Amino acid sequence: MIGDFIDGPLWYFSAAVFLLGVIWRLIAILRIGVTVDLSVARSSGAGGALRTLFSRSLPRRPVLTRGKLQFVAGYMFHLGLFALLFLAQPHVEFISRRITGFGWTTLPHWGFMLVSEAAFAGLLLLLLYRLMHPVTRLISRAGDYAASLLVFLVMLSGCLALARAYEPLRLLHLLLAELLLIYFPFSTLMHAFTFAVSRGYTGAGMARKGVNA
Amino acid sequence: MYRPVSRTASSLLLLLVVILAPVPGGGASANNREEGIQVPNPGTDLWREVRKRQQPPLAGVKPPLNGAPGVDLWMEIERSKLSPVGSTQVKSVDSGTLINPFGDEWRRFRMEWLVPYGGYAVAGMFLLVVLFYLIRGRVPIHAGPSDKRLPRYTVYERMIHWFIAAIFLFLALTGLTMLLGRSLLIPLIGAEAFSLLASASKEGHNLFGPLFLLALALIFFRFVRRNIYQRGDLTWLLRGGGLIGSRHVPSNFFNMGEKSMFWMLVLVGGVTAVSGVILVFPVLGQGREIMALSHVAHAITALTMILVIIGHIYIGSVGMEGAIEGMTTGYCDLNWAREHHDWWAERCENNGEVITVEEAFEAEGFTPGAPKHHRPAGETAE
Amino acid sequence: MRDAGADNMNDRIAAACDELRRQIDARVSSYFSSCVHCGLCAEACHFHVETDDPRYTPIYKLEPMRKLWRQEHTLLGRLGAVLGRSSGLSERDFADWEELVYDSCNLCGRCSMVCPLGIDITYMLRKQREAFNLSGYVPDGMQKALERTLDTGSPMGVTLKTLKATLAHIEKATGLTIPIDREGAEYMTLFSSMEVVNFPEYIESIARIFDAAALSWTISSEAFEATNAGIQVGSRDGAKEIVSRAVDAAEKLGVKYLISPECGHAYTAIRWEGPNLIGRRYKFEVVHILELLDQLHREGRLKFSGSSDTPMTLHDPCQIVRRGGVVEPPRNLLHKVASGFVESTDHAAMNWCCGGGGGVSANERAEALRLKVFGRKKKQFEELGVDTVVTACANCRIVLEEGLEHYEMETQVIGLTELVAEYLEQ
Repeated sequence: MIGDFIDGPLWYFSAAVFLLGVIWRLIAILRIGVTVDLSVARSSGAGGALRTLFSRSLPRRPVLTRGKLQFVAGYMFHLGLFALLFLAQPHVEFISRRITGFGWTTLPHWGFMLVSEAAFAGLLLLLLYRLMHPVTRLISRAGDYAASLLVFLVMLSGCLALARAYEPLRLLHLLLAELLLIYFPFSTLMHAFTFAVSRGYTGAGMARKGVNA
Repeated sequence: MYRPVSRTASSLLLLLVVILAPVPGGGASANNREEGIQVPNPGTDLWREVRKRQQPPLAGVKPPLNGAPGVDLWMEIERSKLSPVGSTQVKSVDSGTLINPFGDEWRRFRMEWLVPYGGYAVAGMFLLVVLFYLIRGRVPIHAGPSDKRLPRYTVYERMIHWFIAAIFLFLALTGLTMLLGRSLLIPLIGAEAFSLLASASKEGHNLFGPLFLLALALIFFRFVRRNIYQRGDLTWLLRGGGLIGSRHVPSNFFNMGEKSMFWMLVLVGGVTAVSGVILVFPVLGQGREIMALSHVAHAITALTMILVIIGHIYIGSVGMEGAIEGMTTGYCDLNWAREHHDWWAERCENNGEVITVEEAFEAEGFTPGAPKHHRPAGETAE
Repeated sequence: MRDAGADNMNDRIAAACDELRRQIDARVSSYFSSCVHCGLCAEACHFHVETDDPRYTPIYKLEPMRKLWRQEHTLLGRLGAVLGRSSGLSERDFADWEELVYDSCNLCGRCSMVCPLGIDITYMLRKQREAFNLSGYVPDGMQKALERTLDTGSPMGVTLKTLKATLAHIEKATGLTIPIDREGAEYMTLFSSMEVVNFPEYIESIARIFDAAALSWTISSEAFEATNAGIQVGSRDGAKEIVSRAVDAAEKLGVKYLISPECGHAYTAIRWEGPNLIGRRYKFEVVHILELLDQLHREGRLKFSGSSDTPMTLHDPCQIVRRGGVVEPPRNLLHKVASGFVESTDHAAMNWCCGGGGGVSANERAEALRLKVFGRKKKQFEELGVDTVVTACANCRIVLEEGLEHYEMETQVIGLTELVAEYLEQ
């Protein structure tokens, strides 16, 4: 009964909230607009926007040395999570069945173990860094902890359901994932989309001035 | 002094475990088939028969006659302590062994020794800690809390400590669930809920296990230098580390007890981790006997660690005033340092590392929303 | 001026909040939506790196703006405001953050270069200062510098009379005539007061260089000051007034190019912010003196003979290089006139600020902090082991000299334009 609800209506509801919420947030941001820059540009902003979109995925040397812990843990978590999300066999099956209608190559078991361990270690270390480092401790808000915790619980419930033999475990994982989808557009998790907008604006602004940002 | 954020910091990790523990059990509430379905199972019949024969016959009762075929063969092999190796087309480790009497020995060890005595040991340790607390009470800072602090652990050191702590707690809870669950949890939550919990525990345990090896390596490289035994460590041991009696016992950054725990963790934990890897990846060419031995080593070393860590958690939290601050805030009370690690404290004081509690508070990054140099409007700085 | 009544203060805070509201554009909203509070910007900021004070984390300096954004641009924030869980910005927010916004930020833009989410923190801080200006929470030193510029035409009170006296000295020393108010000249040049008062050798150098290159140039008696305290304080109106003076003078003389002097913020003000401040494009082009020198050399109009073999490094002024885009010209020139030129570890767009930018050098109460964070420059110079630093900003130069003196270092600071003038082919 409750399982049917999680598997059916709640899934559609959360997917809709996620989708519409993300679109609404992006429109809300872009709608404010920016004033036209009247200064004479050195080079076109578009190229700079595109370059910065990618270049900021790599750390700059001077900060890499001071922030290597964040970079290592950050890469482990993000890359691990991406692989889990889109290459784990149960996920591909789910996506294929419910959304796309087709699947793709999945990770072998050992690959799955490896990426999930990287993702878990990365997330735990980032969360601990947030709790321990004076800077992050000062600037972090309840929303940052809520987002980290929710993502952790989703990942953990997924790992507990790995045997794929118990419906309640699968439903627990699905329920938590649905809560995450609903929370997503209203939280800092939005950075998964807005990072492109931010990098684009900064890259364009700096490229106009002739600086590789 | 009260520190809401540091409390949050330490309790958050515990929360993770606490939140999760009851969840899978709740998921299987629709459990009304207590009995299960009866299916004919010749294999089970064979085992029942074998075990009946292994029991010393009750006085006046004759051993039953052949109930299942193969029982005699089994008894024969067991008596001879040899496992005959046959030949088969299946080419894999141990594929030629049809019956391995060692497996039964392992089973008996697990059921008759490991599970009961392991359970008693863990329960006993809990009892001991409670008793100790009732008798000895919380070890106070004798000179009272001071308004001075010493930097004790860096951000990285605290991170890896809580990293290994979180992983250890998760592995210990899931491990104990698998070891003791049949005897302790089935009567409480029923077989169906337990089977779900056991499956979840097993998957979680297997996935987090290798992370313990990583965490252990991080801990080892970071702390090894401060954990090498030095002069004075023996004195500390002879005086019982100050927990027994009330005499002051000098020590360095880590005392003899902490150093011993470090080496125990590294050596015993190393065995646990390596045997765990052997168990998780049965594709490395290991046979049944190695697996069984690994399991025995894994269980015994893990239980040893659990017992020691219970003591560690006790001393680090309720057992001693001022002990946990170093690991949560990074700073410890100067008086606490003088009483428990006075050689180190003295060195720090000579190096001018002592700061006030306010300075420590600010350096930790607390008090969001209140910048440091607040001047009321209209005033200029001196 | 801060003793005004409570009503007056409330009005000012309301005006400041309105301004903050106006300053939040799509960029700002996208930036705050993206920030995950990872704290990496702190590792790029000399104020944090040198003090270890978490409050000097760049993104934390934007708390007032973030607070307003959260309340008015996010669902949870608006919900909190409706339920009365959070109040709006109060005077306390401005009072508390004044030091973080003005004393501990050079607008140097180093944090903006490292944010993994691509957040331009400096862009937002510049905007936030507009609101702080209206709230009245502005350091006295910076406020006075702005007022002096608006009253007398120069933040240091340099008048046309002072300039003319300096020019007379230079004309006597060089035997050249410095053209004033020459209509139809191709280039009009601006100076910073610091150059007129402390570094007249800069003016002498450009007079000799322009003569050697046979450049048609002039100075306007109506506007010769390039520095713009308005953009540092965050006074749009003040900044616009200062820019307008130079623009009007240049357009009156009908020049094709306006030369921005070595000074960093002057360049940002006239080159990048100016057209937006006055709301239209100029009828001339703005060129930085280093760009011009590089161009003249490339065109063969400037020839050098010999070069200095003294080991020296370049201190990139933030507003000219990182925030201004004049990255290669100083290097091209140095390679011609200084064979001993070496780059320091963090250079060009990743150089460390001298600590005096963004109005901090005009803010007396920030001096102790400024000298403390100069420790970063000290380490940078010591690592490289050179005793001569070239720079191209009068403000950097004076701040570097003060810092070096404070740390009792023997390092020499020289201006790039003077160095170029020294090796002119006669």
